[in-house]
Amino acid sequence: MGYKIKKCILYILLIILAATCLLPFTLMIVNATRSGAEISSSFTFIPSTHIKENWDILFGYFNLFRGMLNSIIVAVPATLLGAYFSALTAYGLAMYKFKGNKFIFGAILVFMMIPGQLSLIGFYQLCTKLHLVNSYIPLILPAVAAPGTVFFLRQYILSSLSPSLVEAARIDGAPELYTFHKIALPIISPAMATMGIMGFIGNWNNYLLPMIILNKNDKFTLPVMMATLRASIDAARNQGATYLAVAISVIPILLVFCFFSRYIISSISAGAVKE
Amino acid sequence: MKMKKLMAITLAGVMAASMVGCSGSSSTTDGAKTDGTTSSGTETEASGDKVAASGEKLVVWTLASDLKQFAERYTEQTGTEVETVVIEPADYPTKVQTALMGGETEPDIIVGEPQMLEDFYDNGFFANLDELGAKDYEGQIVDYVWKVGQDADGVQRAISYQITPAGIYYRRDIAEEVFGTDDPEEIGKYFADYGTILDTAKTLKDAGYRIFASDSEINYFSGDSAWVVDGALNVSQARLDYMDLVISLYQDDLTAYANQWSTPWYQAMSGEVPILTAEIQNYEDDSVNVWDADAFNEATADLEKTTVFAFGLPSWGVLTMRDNVGETSGKWGVCAGPAYGFGGGTYIGISNLSERKELAWDFVKFCTLNEETADWWIEASEGDTVSLISALEKHKDDENAVYGGEKLYSFWLEQAEGIDYSKVTKYDKVIGDAWGAAIGSIKTGQATREEAFATFYDTIESTYPEITVTR
Repeated sequence: MGYKIKKCILYILLIILAATCLLPFTLMIVNATRSGAEISSSFTFIPSTHIKENWDILFGYFNLFRGMLNSIIVAVPATLLGAYFSALTAYGLAMYKFKGNKFIFGAILVFMMIPGQLSLIGFYQLCTKLHLVNSYIPLILPAVAAPGTVFFLRQYILSSLSPSLVEAARIDGAPELYTFHKIALPIISPAMATMGIMGFIGNWNNYLLPMIILNKNDKFTLPVMMATLRASIDAARNQGATYLAVAISVIPILLVFCFFSRYIISSISAGAVKE
Repeated sequence: MKMKKLMAITLAGVMAASMVGCSGSSSTTDGAKTDGTTSSGTETEASGDKVAASGEKLVVWTLASDLKQFAERYTEQTGTEVETVVIEPADYPTKVQTALMGGETEPDIIVGEPQMLEDFYDNGFFANLDELGAKDYEGQIVDYVWKVGQDADGVQRAISYQITPAGIYYRRDIAEEVFGTDDPEEIGKYFADYGTILDTAKTLKDAGYRIFASDSEINYFSGDSAWVVDGALNVSQARLDYMDLVISLYQDDLTAYANQWSTPWYQAMSGEVPILTAEIQNYEDDSVNVWDADAFNEATADLEKTTVFAFGLPSWGVLTMRDNVGETSGKWGVCAGPAYGFGGGTYIGISNLSERKELAWDFVKFCTLNEETADWWIEASEGDTVSLISALEKHKDDENAVYGGEKLYSFWLEQAEGIDYSKVTKYDKVIGDAWGAAIGSIKTGQATREEAFATFYDTIESTYPEITVTR
């Protein structure tokens, strides 16, 4: 009986928590169906009838799907590259003993603390010299170096990948890279998935760098495109359209989350049954 | 087995990623190539055509989507292709600064709002328009706009297509009832200086009206001298008088306690509104949600109602008012405020790094100095006030029905001619905001006068160490 009551309370709490988390999303979706005037004058959860208008306004300004495609072209490779190369780095730092290991790790930690905005003008100059302005390369390639991910994965490898596994592979004559791909990667894939989600959301929502690097309307990524809605004089009237744009733009994030969250959960259970 | 699958997927992903990465890069080069061919294609077309344009493409980076319409019209008329990139206003300075400091030659036309311009001039972002022949056009544009477009050495750097002088928008019917006249000249006298405004406010309150919906309405007219004179902070008597006026308006219950741009403020344009309390205005009393029309009407049903007499807004307020006056359309008038002032405006200039300055200058001339464009813009924007004097004069007898048939263009021209640009500095935004915050904390009693002044001085000193502050 006591167990049931406890469970009941727990579920109620969880439902409240879930509702709190979902509320802003609901509001966003509801607002996507309302006109700008309605949004600025009142607050409600009842959907209105202006979704078609909002859609027309939105697509009158730009092609949202073009922005989405651009964002995917940037975010997907950046995420995959970031996850893979971070894993490689983290594996090296965790598994090999060599001079300067500590120093490199320290340096990575230091770089974690430098905000990227500081070097913006220099970065832009570099891109101009390399003729990379207006291209996606400056947005994708730097994702290879993700100090935060390296830090996280190194700690994960130290705790969950036993060196004896790697040694066993070596004794059986596996080359180092093969060992990494066959032995290490599967074990750390839950952690990579976690960082992958973070990385994807970060890349998807990245605003400052694309805003600076991209100068062509049809190359703009989603956040940059959506920001231009605010440049018009009718910013207040366009609020509904803005909400619609945001609502559409979170769909990929939700999809990615649904897909990868499986691995996060499996990482929890993997830890539970270990040894 | 599962591991193998996962790894295979990951590897495939990585491969796909690198391929997309490569294809991304190749597509960009492709893009650049096709760009080149298209522009050369238009070149042959253009040279075959009678159009004088060289067939080059202009690139416009703007923060106001107005320019998109201008660009479309330019293309229609000259055949020159114009690519307009609209950037969010708040990030516009960052974008332009990074790009131009990084040596970007792509944008030909860049724009700025008055508060950004001085930084842009100092950094040399704008090309010298005098070298392109701007001097020949001196006197064709309203003087203050011409001056705002000049850098510290008096070199023309940017020109705006609009003027934004401030005026007082008032209700003619109430004016008739309380003051016995609705003539803008006469009503202007009731707003002639801060002391008179206070008297006017009291007269109106006795008659059952309120002078303003909010107490920020005279902000555009505040101050008769610059905030910074010879590197020192200058808090003139007019600033202090303005402060006293705002505090009196607030504490003596002379406004409807609406916040500018909030729902009741807009509602006040169309007729009766409830008189809120000071607590509601500063959100101390949150029983009334000023952003929610339905809840607002319900919560304020018992409050005393009043009608607001006047609003203080720049000339673009003509459009804001028109959209919100509802049934009171035609009952409004516009008169001069206690001082000359202006707010906002988009200034068009040429990037110093542009490789097509001649063509860009042609575009700037088209937007700002072309009477036909000005005529068209008055139509297209449905009442924006242009900066070209000849166009304003041509439209000087246009009557605006919303404002009781008042001839607004001649009125704005007159107001704009009075603006003294020398009192505008690049510090205005920050100092003005700090001053507004000081006034706010004094009027609500959150801080004493001394405390508020100390905070104000501290803010200025820490934001601009180069300014001497004498307390």
